[in-house]
Amino acid sequence: MAIEYKKSQAVFNDFIGVEEAEALLEWLQKNPKGKVNFAECTHIHASSLQVLIAIKPPIAAEPNDADLAVWLKIALK
Amino acid sequence: MNNLLEQFLSEARDFLQGIAEKLMQLENDPNSTELMVELFRFVHTLKGNSGLFDFPEMTRVLHASEDLMDAVRNGRVSYSQTLADQLLEAMDFVSALMDEIELTGKTGSNHVGTSTELTNALRALLNAPNAVHVPVAIETYTEDGLAVKAISWSELPPMDLPESTAMGLHRCAIDGETVLWLQYTPEPECFFKGEDPFFLIRQIPDVAWRHIILNNTASTLAEMDVFSSQLVFQLLTIASAEELDDLLRYVPDQIHRVKVPALAFVKPSGNSDDVGLDEDFIINILEFFDNDEIETLTNTINTMLELSSPDLWSSSALRWVLHLIETEPDNKPVQRTLLEALRTQKTPDWSALTLPDVEPTRNVVASPVVSINTSEVSDTLLVYFHEVIDAQKEILSLPATSGGAWSAGRLKAVGATLIGCYRAVQRANEVEHIEAALQLALTENSPTPLLIWLDNSLLDTHEPVLVEEHEEHIVVNHLAAQTDAKSNRRSEEIGGANIVAASKTLKVDQDKIDRLMNLIGEMVVAKNALPYLANRAETVFGVRELSREIKAQYAVINRVAEEMQDTIMQVRMMPVSFIFQRFPRMVRDISRKLGKEVELVLEGEATEADKNIIEALSDPLIHIVRNSLDHGLEMPEARLAAGKFATGKLLIRASQESDRVLIEIIDDGKGIDPDVIKQKAYEKGLIDESTLERISDQDAVNLVFAAGFSTADVISDLSGRGVGMDVVRSAVEKVNGTVGIESERGKGTRLFLSLPLSMAVTNVMIIESNTQIFGVPMDMVVETVRVPRAHIRTIKQKQTTVLRGRIVPLLSLNDLLAKSEPQLPNEDDEFATLIVRVHGEHVGILVDDFRETVDIILKPMTGILGGLPGYSGAALLGDGSVLMVLNPRELI
Repeated sequence: MAIEYKKSQAVFNDFIGVEEAEALLEWLQKNPKGKVNFAECTHIHASSLQVLIAIKPPIAAEPNDADLAVWLKIALK
Repeated sequence: MNNLLEQFLSEARDFLQGIAEKLMQLENDPNSTELMVELFRFVHTLKGNSGLFDFPEMTRVLHASEDLMDAVRNGRVSYSQTLADQLLEAMDFVSALMDEIELTGKTGSNHVGTSTELTNALRALLNAPNAVHVPVAIETYTEDGLAVKAISWSELPPMDLPESTAMGLHRCAIDGETVLWLQYTPEPECFFKGEDPFFLIRQIPDVAWRHIILNNTASTLAEMDVFSSQLVFQLLTIASAEELDDLLRYVPDQIHRVKVPALAFVKPSGNSDDVGLDEDFIINILEFFDNDEIETLTNTINTMLELSSPDLWSSSALRWVLHLIETEPDNKPVQRTLLEALRTQKTPDWSALTLPDVEPTRNVVASPVVSINTSEVSDTLLVYFHEVIDAQKEILSLPATSGGAWSAGRLKAVGATLIGCYRAVQRANEVEHIEAALQLALTENSPTPLLIWLDNSLLDTHEPVLVEEHEEHIVVNHLAAQTDAKSNRRSEEIGGANIVAASKTLKVDQDKIDRLMNLIGEMVVAKNALPYLANRAETVFGVRELSREIKAQYAVINRVAEEMQDTIMQVRMMPVSFIFQRFPRMVRDISRKLGKEVELVLEGEATEADKNIIEALSDPLIHIVRNSLDHGLEMPEARLAAGKFATGKLLIRASQESDRVLIEIIDDGKGIDPDVIKQKAYEKGLIDESTLERISDQDAVNLVFAAGFSTADVISDLSGRGVGMDVVRSAVEKVNGTVGIESERGKGTRLFLSLPLSMAVTNVMIIESNTQIFGVPMDMVVETVRVPRAHIRTIKQKQTTVLRGRIVPLLSLNDLLAKSEPQLPNEDDEFATLIVRVHGEHVGILVDDFRETVDIILKPMTGILGGLPGYSGAALLGDGSVLMVLNPRELI
């Protein structure tokens, strides 16, 4: 499972594919205070990315992937 | 190059030819809906076919053409000359791409520009009704340097670059690197095409600045459609144009690029100071500047910077001034403008700044209509251009040939080369002059006129043709030259140039081949009449000499006829790869669906067989492969538990065995359990209880070929409807093939099909019964024996004999054909017995006598006779009589 949904955190692992977007949107709507953890994430499909941009959830951990970190910073500021 | 691609290329050329023809016909009859529909169909099919391959440029242009043709067909757009021109040009482009594919197997990304230009031109003809599809290009690459809907860099949205980044980019731009502002607006439905715009955009190297915009149209989050892209990416990059072209070749119509000039980055930022800088200070530094006391100026600025807060706008501006002095010491107007801006604390409007005195390269940068492609292409082109021209000069200065006179051929060659070169560098207007000089040279029979012309003209060609310098004038010229060149190209192609691209293969209608086949068949029959004739010459007319000569002639005709037959058969041969190539995809899809892991191995794809055989094989093979995947191979867990690799192996192998093609389908799955088969067969009433008891395992496995047999309990869309293996068997038998199966429980299954190489000629044995002759296909005959009457025993009213320790049932042919006469034995009271193999069992057929074996062209029977199952067909014999060929399988 590319996104693990914990109690207050969505943990992104590796490569997030196109199919994750819907579940992510649902989870973020249900957990308005839910944080996102990108530490182990290497790429997020554009569909999930636009969900993140629309909601701009608080970030628990930035990605270790430097390039993705730069993009996410720009996108979610 | 694979077969599919080869086929595509050969077909596509036909389509292009057809499209060109139809367009020409439409020109004479613009209102013909029939032509229009046909034209649309051509373009539509061609587009569809091209989509099978990775040629995005080709597909895009064809897609636009298709849309346009669709509109024309439905009367939304009317047919016009321009439309035809545009379509022809698009087809020229496609044809050029195909030449490239033929040579290299792929298309280069350097066509993105042309394809976009063509697509836009085609879309433009579509007009307003389809405005959604018209890409809003800020700048599109066009060969002639014209931008369709250009916005200049000054209209770019603000970017808020950090000062250090801006200065870095400014330096890059000054150093001649291209800084591009790129905006990528993925189409909303792009996710459904498997695209990931974010992934794509992350592949762009050397990104200095980036920005993502979300155009969320939904009012609430719940309404947000996550699977429709609402993103817009913007970035600044110094990546090369080729790199970007290559990366973005699939989405060029969703990309806007603007070349950002160095000046655009000169944008001081920071808090504006209420007070601003002291007017005296500004007057002071302006004075230093005007008097060219640069050192004093920099010192003063440095001191001021130390004194004031670095966050102020004015500090930023002063830092920029220092930066400009360092990087562009000669660009005074800009520096001065910036200094003066210190008064207003506003970034000067650089686009309004006229830059007449700046060096030419700056001018290039500042012009938004500069096309990157053109300048680069023409640079390299110019190098070659000069090389070729120099070579021509050398040729012209060579001493005259031995005959003393300059040969006209050499002059013409030089002339043609020159014309080609000048066209290539967009200077087609020179062609006239070259032609004039060439004429002169030809009449004088000396190279001088051409040399003089070259020397005069070369002076100005060394200057690259810069559109930017005198924009309007040259652009017009340039355009004219281009259309000229294009129309020339097209007519050349229609003329003679496509001889080069002419394909070596010939497409022939199958009917014609079949007709040839029939003719050669008749020829064989006619040829076979000669031995009879020779015989008659000797026996009836008693001319031995003539008989011998006829036989000698027969030998020659026989050889030629056989060779001809062989050659025509070759024509009909096709490699089995024709059906094999669909398996990788099919296996992948089915194994995914079933959750199995399968490795498919194909062997002997080059094995050839007759087209009819290959075509007849296709369906049975699909059945078998599906069966293997569904019933044969186990789930990964089951395989691991059985001590096998999780990935199952499916081997499909074709090989040739003398005059037959052998196809094996081998899997290493769970095999067939004979007990299960027996049980199922018994339940379905296919075998009775006694058979159930004594049937061997191999025979039980063979039951899968019985009609109506199925082991699957659940009917899936893959198999289990009981129309499996018996259909396979009958399909294979229809083309005189056999099918067999071997299976070992737990180890796997091997299915093998054996098929004749060709169906055209059948080898039959002629037998005699009841004073009539019949043929029996040789591949069914096991042996011929003579059985003495004494050896025939009657068991349960059926005649049998023991042959090499085996009991063989005997049937009389006369009985089988419902004749009452008994078979005739020979003088030793032995019966001629034909042992044939039917469904794996040997059966003896009693006949009156054996004759020779002959090759015949078997014609299936038609009409009322076609309903007779006992015969597989009829053939003409050499003496003109008709030979009925029996089908023992049906007969018994």
